[in-house]
Amino acid sequence: MRLQLWGVAFVLPALLFFVFFKYGPMGWAFWLSFTSYDMLAPPRFVGVANFAGLAGDPVFLQSLQNTLVYIVASTTLVTLVALLLALAVSTRVPGARVCMSGIFLTNVMPIIAVCLVWRFLLHPHGLVNQLLAPFGAGRIDWLTSDATAMPAIVLVTVWRFAPYFMVVFVAALAAIPAEYYEAAAIDGTRGLNRFRYITLPLLLPQLFFVIVVAALLSARLFLMPYIITGGGPGGATRVLSMLIYETGFSYLKMGRAAAISVVLFAIVLALTLAQMKLFMRHEET
Amino acid sequence: MGRRLLRWLGLVPLAGLTVLVLLPVLWMLSTSFQASEKMFQLAMEWIPAVWHPENYPNALHRAPFPLFFTNSLIVSTVVMVGNVVFCTLAGYGLAKFRFPGDRFALLAILSTLMLPLEVTLVPTFLIVHSLGWLNTYQGIFAPLLVDAFGIFLMRQFVLGVPSDYLQAARIDGAGELRILWKIVLPQCKPALAVLALFAFRDSWDQFLWPLAVVSRDEYRTYPLGLVRFAEDYGNPQTEQMAVAVMATIPVFVLFLLLQRLLKKGFGLTGLKG
Repeated sequence: MRLQLWGVAFVLPALLFFVFFKYGPMGWAFWLSFTSYDMLAPPRFVGVANFAGLAGDPVFLQSLQNTLVYIVASTTLVTLVALLLALAVSTRVPGARVCMSGIFLTNVMPIIAVCLVWRFLLHPHGLVNQLLAPFGAGRIDWLTSDATAMPAIVLVTVWRFAPYFMVVFVAALAAIPAEYYEAAAIDGTRGLNRFRYITLPLLLPQLFFVIVVAALLSARLFLMPYIITGGGPGGATRVLSMLIYETGFSYLKMGRAAAISVVLFAIVLALTLAQMKLFMRHEET
Repeated sequence: MGRRLLRWLGLVPLAGLTVLVLLPVLWMLSTSFQASEKMFQLAMEWIPAVWHPENYPNALHRAPFPLFFTNSLIVSTVVMVGNVVFCTLAGYGLAKFRFPGDRFALLAILSTLMLPLEVTLVPTFLIVHSLGWLNTYQGIFAPLLVDAFGIFLMRQFVLGVPSDYLQAARIDGAGELRILWKIVLPQCKPALAVLALFAFRDSWDQFLWPLAVVSRDEYRTYPLGLVRFAEDYGNPQTEQMAVAVMATIPVFVLFLLLQRLLKKGFGLTGLKG
């Protein structure tokens, strides 16, 4: 009994914090999404008018599409590149650990610095085009053409986040007992098959973890397009979090901004549930 | 002998890859010492022909960056301490105590990962506004003080501390806080290092939230100041990079200080639940 009280006492501060700063605000956002509110007059109930307005708003629909494309593309590539990097630095080459620490440095650089640096690198006369020139690439306007702006943002995302998840995979790879590989070698299993039948199944928990966290991270995307492209060209990289900020803080349409928040939350929730379901099914087999 | 040589040869592609990944970091460093008219030359001059270390003091004088950095340091330190304290308490409580609703509490905490500030921006702003906390330090750090990921990390780590130790200490008459301080915490140093680094880094990186609640220079954090600085075309771009390098230093120093512990701790960031 005494111990139960201690347990509650330890957990309670965090729980109260989340009620006040997470669940409370989310509940309030749901309520606000059915109102019209400009912070001057009290909120006025308008039913589903905000959502109906969004459904017919091309700017919102484009931002929604951008967000979904970005989440899928960046989650896939971040996970893939993180795994490849982890395999590369987990080889028994001398100096591999130093290389890992070096690659991890992309995570030490503040994200605002990352954005400003890449804005220069992706400039038509920037380093990226200089490095690509020997391969016959012309002057690519990465940030100002519809076709390349979003891929450029995804590239910066991969550069920034893949090294973080690499560390997760490295730890998991190190935990795989060497006997498994020795046994496989005796059976003549090598190369890709060894990866497919031994490494990959043992990495599944981490793979699931990385996909979930990377998806949650990419749903929060704001700063990269805000700084690197300003949401342009023509809204090609505007995502929902930017639209929430613009709607709420530039136009003071708090009700409509709350409605966009509800949509963003629905996306995050759907992603998480879908991934949990997929993973559970895999666990059972 | 041949085998050893072969293993060293394997380092060549790996080192090449590392350098390629780090090119943007090297570019930032090099540019921060470069003359401003050399920003967009046809060929990158990696080592400046003439060094311009004065880019650093010049940038600090052109805008109130010392103030912005101080603000960021205050906020990020508070956030780091808050996370270390509250995430440790909650993680310990969830790992080693059974009480009615404990599983629900864990689920409720983990579910908040789906409610980042980007989603709850408008109502959180309205709460901070109604508390009168716009343009204050507490307004910036309050919503960042506890993070579910930190709680999960600490819970996973504390699960690995044998419960027998705790039981034995209780039989010896040690109080619960003393057990946490003397027995649990010393065994959790790697996890605490990871928690501290990421709490500080995430707060140091915050942009959208301070942008929403700060409108006065006195409380502006450095990312807001730096973006403003970058938007003003009169400011040399090399000085932007000088500020970017300075902004990297605190996280880098923290990373170096904690590196030994981090090596043990990183394995835990991907532990299965």
